[in-house]
Amino acid sequence: MARETALVRSLVELADTLVSDFDVIELLTGLANRCVSLLGVSAAGVMLASPDNDLRLAASSSEAMRVLELFELQAQEGPCLDAFRTGEPVEHQNLQAGVGPWPRFASGALEAGFRSAFALPLRLRDRTVGALNLFNAGQTPMTDEDLVVARAFADLAAISVVQHWSTIENQLLNEQLMRALDSRVLIEQAKGVIFERAGIGMAEAFDRLRSYARSHNLRLTKVAQDAIDGSLDPAAWGP
Amino acid sequence: MAGDEARGSVCNTNAVSAAIEELQYVLGEGPCVDAYQQDRAVLEPDLADPRTPRWLAFTPKALEAGARAVFGFPLRVGAVRLGALNVYQDRSGPLSDEQHADALVMAEVVAHWLLDVQAEARPGALAEELELGAEFYFVVQNAAGVVSVQLGVTVTEAMIALRAHAFSTDRPLRDVARDVVERKLRFG
Repeated sequence: MARETALVRSLVELADTLVSDFDVIELLTGLANRCVSLLGVSAAGVMLASPDNDLRLAASSSEAMRVLELFELQAQEGPCLDAFRTGEPVEHQNLQAGVGPWPRFASGALEAGFRSAFALPLRLRDRTVGALNLFNAGQTPMTDEDLVVARAFADLAAISVVQHWSTIENQLLNEQLMRALDSRVLIEQAKGVIFERAGIGMAEAFDRLRSYARSHNLRLTKVAQDAIDGSLDPAAWGP
Repeated sequence: MAGDEARGSVCNTNAVSAAIEELQYVLGEGPCVDAYQQDRAVLEPDLADPRTPRWLAFTPKALEAGARAVFGFPLRVGAVRLGALNVYQDRSGPLSDEQHADALVMAEVVAHWLLDVQAEARPGALAEELELGAEFYFVVQNAAGVVSVQLGVTVTEAMIALRAHAFSTDRPLRDVARDVVERKLRFG
């Protein structure tokens, strides 16, 4: 499929999801995956802000522990945190271990196999609610065209957090951000349950959780809750 | 308010808030009960003239006790549900954006504090964990899921068991969690 076609299809699918009753984490995970396939980057992640402006990971294109921890590190330093704090994009930056504006982050990124990074703020009117982070194994900056696409994905990610259009007011937005972040915590707990029940790795546990939700047309958060409660047949997690 | 069965107040700041907690405990209705059961923030900025009439037994008594606006925030960490945080005002009106944000953050801090209290943590250890924000590392949440299966308990109990282990062996919670997900440490 031509890239343009794939891009249009992705945007239409995401927009369709936004008008239905959707699971934020599932949508953001799909969005991160599309960033990887359409922008040719190696990994992508969406971080959201808690009301006290702590940046936490909501979704990632990779469930590898190293990658998840690279996002967690950005609560302290990294392109996501800078994009979130300034409300401005953090342009393509080649990474060198232990040097540059984010020495710890750069070292972690290189260990995970990434040699450059880029971040965009997630903006909703006058508020920044998080950041979209893109990683690359190579060091070639994205084209201007790709940047426009990345911006569109960042805007969709920001919009997805607001589920009630009538009132984009701060209190509701804060509650929804907290709920989205808590859904992610719930999913992490469910990954642990499936990891142990099925005797598989954490990343695979996430894949099984997600494919179960998709094939049964259920919300990811609901399946995670059921996995934890034990109300889903443990055989569901078999290969 | 903490826990499903043993609902009761763990901490309150003055006589009015104590009365409000007590009323909800006795009557089984009110903002905290709703926040806990519906798992969302429940805001009533004007008890005397509510937008949605509710809490028929609770409301007149809460007004009598001196509350004019009441707010409940769920205490949760994923599947861990610990109760609700109660906030009241002696005048009607909504919380400011800042107060509301503070209450959301406070609810999170209280939830972790309650887990630590149940794990019988030393007071010093608690401060250290909060400072480092260990609670938010995914590996800790993963490990809680793993341990819940190993011990055949709820994720809440698993979280407490993990913390109790960390405190009793004097190791950071995150290190203990990492051992669990690397299958180096088993519970049960």
